[in-house]
Amino acid sequence: MNEQERTDNAQRIVITGIGMVTPLGIGKEEFGRRIFAGDCAVSPVQSFDASAFSSHCGAEITDFQPRNFISIKNIRRMDKISQLTAAAARLALEDAGITVNPDNRDRIGIILGTSFGATDVTVQFAETLLKDGPALVNPILVPNTVMNAPAGHTSIELGFRGVNTTITHFAVSAETAIAYAVSEIRRGAADFILTGGVDILSKFYYEALTRFHALSPLDENIEESKPFDRDRNGMVAGEGCGIICIESMESALARGREPYCVIKGFGQGSSPATPTGWPENSAGVKKTISRALTNAGITPQDIEAISAAANGSITLDRIEAEAYAEVFAENKSGPWITALKGALGESFSSGGVRTCALALSCAKGAMPPTCGLYTPLAQLKFVRRREEKIEINNALLAGISFGGTYVYLVLGKCPDA
Amino acid sequence: MQTKRRIVITGLGTINAVAHNIPDFVSALSAGVCGIGPLDLFETDGFRCQNGGQIKNFSPRNFISHHFSLKRMSRADMLSFAATLEALTDAGLYPLPQQLAEDAGVVIGGGSGGLREAESFYRDLLNKNGRHARFSKLSTVYCASSADRIASNLDLSGPKATFMTACSAGGTALGYARDLIQNGQAKMVIAGGVEPMCRITYAAFNALKSLDPGVCHPFDQNRAGLSLGEAAAIMILEPLEKALARGAKIHGEILGYGVTCDSFHMTAPDENASGAIRSMQAALRDSGLTSEDVDYINAHGTATPVNDAMETRAIKEVFGKRAYSIPVSSTKAMTAHTLGAAGALEGIVSVLALEHGFIPPTINFREPDPACDLDYVTEGARKADLRVVLSNSFAFGGNNTTVIFGKCDKNGIRNE
Repeated sequence: MNEQERTDNAQRIVITGIGMVTPLGIGKEEFGRRIFAGDCAVSPVQSFDASAFSSHCGAEITDFQPRNFISIKNIRRMDKISQLTAAAARLALEDAGITVNPDNRDRIGIILGTSFGATDVTVQFAETLLKDGPALVNPILVPNTVMNAPAGHTSIELGFRGVNTTITHFAVSAETAIAYAVSEIRRGAADFILTGGVDILSKFYYEALTRFHALSPLDENIEESKPFDRDRNGMVAGEGCGIICIESMESALARGREPYCVIKGFGQGSSPATPTGWPENSAGVKKTISRALTNAGITPQDIEAISAAANGSITLDRIEAEAYAEVFAENKSGPWITALKGALGESFSSGGVRTCALALSCAKGAMPPTCGLYTPLAQLKFVRRREEKIEINNALLAGISFGGTYVYLVLGKCPDA
Repeated sequence: MQTKRRIVITGLGTINAVAHNIPDFVSALSAGVCGIGPLDLFETDGFRCQNGGQIKNFSPRNFISHHFSLKRMSRADMLSFAATLEALTDAGLYPLPQQLAEDAGVVIGGGSGGLREAESFYRDLLNKNGRHARFSKLSTVYCASSADRIASNLDLSGPKATFMTACSAGGTALGYARDLIQNGQAKMVIAGGVEPMCRITYAAFNALKSLDPGVCHPFDQNRAGLSLGEAAAIMILEPLEKALARGAKIHGEILGYGVTCDSFHMTAPDENASGAIRSMQAALRDSGLTSEDVDYINAHGTATPVNDAMETRAIKEVFGKRAYSIPVSSTKAMTAHTLGAAGALEGIVSVLALEHGFIPPTINFREPDPACDLDYVTEGARKADLRVVLSNSFAFGGNNTTVIFGKCDKNGIRNE
């Protein structure tokens, strides 16, 4: 290996571990089997009574046993969101073949995205304060009301002490966290970073979404997540945690690990929008895609697949489809597009789970189908009904948030060593 | 490894308990003004403490012109936007040129966000079975809304990100903003932190028994906890060559930063100070400096019994014998602890110290503590020609951030 290749490999960031706790299963095997088979996790909400609300469905995690992943000592201090994070992080570390020890613990870190944090605990805390007064507020709850709690608990549970940060920027929290993690490894701030996103369903959060008129059905029709569908009628609330373990290619080669894929670059951008609202057009999305492509050193012709942000919302899906129609107009065959929120619902920090899924796609050479897509709103190459076999040299992971914030990641197959 | 682009600070803006703008802040820091006193923003009945570093007489329209709507802006949104306008004006970038706005980003260290406004929502939700609770009030509850407001008001198209690592968020935001420019994601970044005073957050610290019943006194033998405050602190960051090309005033430079984790306890710092030590070392490494180069340390210095002893131990470990000859001060006795904004506010303090050649004092100090035996600048502000200032921020969750600032002259020459 010459000097140039060595420098390239130190700056080339790869995914070597995947950890997932999702409504379609725990761990990459179960998730992979079900997502590529086209399973849909949307069903009537079971963890709380949703009968009084205008929507009743969600995509919930149903079979999670924290004790299988977290030590007895720490488990009681953790709320649900921290438990999901610690479990997914443990799976990602194990998948990457990393054992935390005194020699490496200061070079392992976590950069986590969460859009809303522990909405369940925050409401509980506010309720005690307002009903019973300040003296009766339970101090045990306090640390868990803060959004950096999941990353803090996870570092304690797994024993690593390197860079530790939490980013919260609505629906691009996870994508921003991953982009930051890539730049932190390149900067030499850590050797391994666990990064991704987590968000949970709670009764309060579900009610808030219904009151914002965000959830399907917005009409009298069937409640379903229908990304990019002409008859889409709102999103379905979801939850989940997806964590990847990243390191430099140099490090992966030295450890003899076969990476899932390379994170080739990223682009970040925004456009003016009202709080919780959408921008008027797709200009910001297009500009952000262009930043990502430039950052990765490729052109629209090179993109073969996209994991979309579309979630069945009227405006988001239209803006996103419009952007792809324009950016890839010159790309004759056009990229295959899949929208996993049809199967998983919208969990806002979904970028974690979706990046895990796209890494699996790169390794497997296939894109999973989009659930709930019957009549596409535009003439784009959507993956529907069944998985599409495709060798992925370059794929986009889309992060688009209300409030007008965008992050695109470029993932792709590892170059032949 | 390629040489990194140098990123400089060309604009500053703040509103806090001791000043409503940068010139007043310089005066207050040199005079050692204490901004901590009785709160009138909310009822403090039932709390262990009735004091805080509240921003008094904040009228948003004194800062934000009628060109901008204040509708549904939380106190945090208004404070951060007001400080942004001051920083941009200071940088000579207001109104912002269209071309720059295309590649300008916003990075904010957040804290309570719109939680203050959300309290009335929660109250309605509980009192009336939720039937009359207006969920629209939740639209600004999350701290990311401040960055969205700034970007939207100014028509920016660059990256946006919000950090939420409690008390270290503001410092991390500054470091991350520097990286965004170095990585080519933005040509200019509005970076900083904001923390509004809010009863729910106050109740949390009250429950943890972290509050000094009176006024905090960092590094003092009888220190009894922190005083909570509120602030917005914003910096304008640009590449050095761009700043020079447009003849901008350069306040200072971000030389480097480090972020680490205690991995010890959610609310108590590791008494062995490992996280704090590694955070300072990481920042020195990132800056290409050694412990010999640091002229002043703006401490986290919350005035909790554990933090100040831990931080002192960490400084001794990193700086060895030299620790005793480096001035260390905590400006939290003046501004109070502004949580998510603290790292950015103290970043501004560090830059002002470099620019104006002084070390702000640790006020309210009465009795030395054998466990805290460094030079805490307790006798009042001190004149000093500083080249490099290190600023610490440590947080719940075991998050530690250290940012290092350097002086450079109007030609961008480092004063070495």
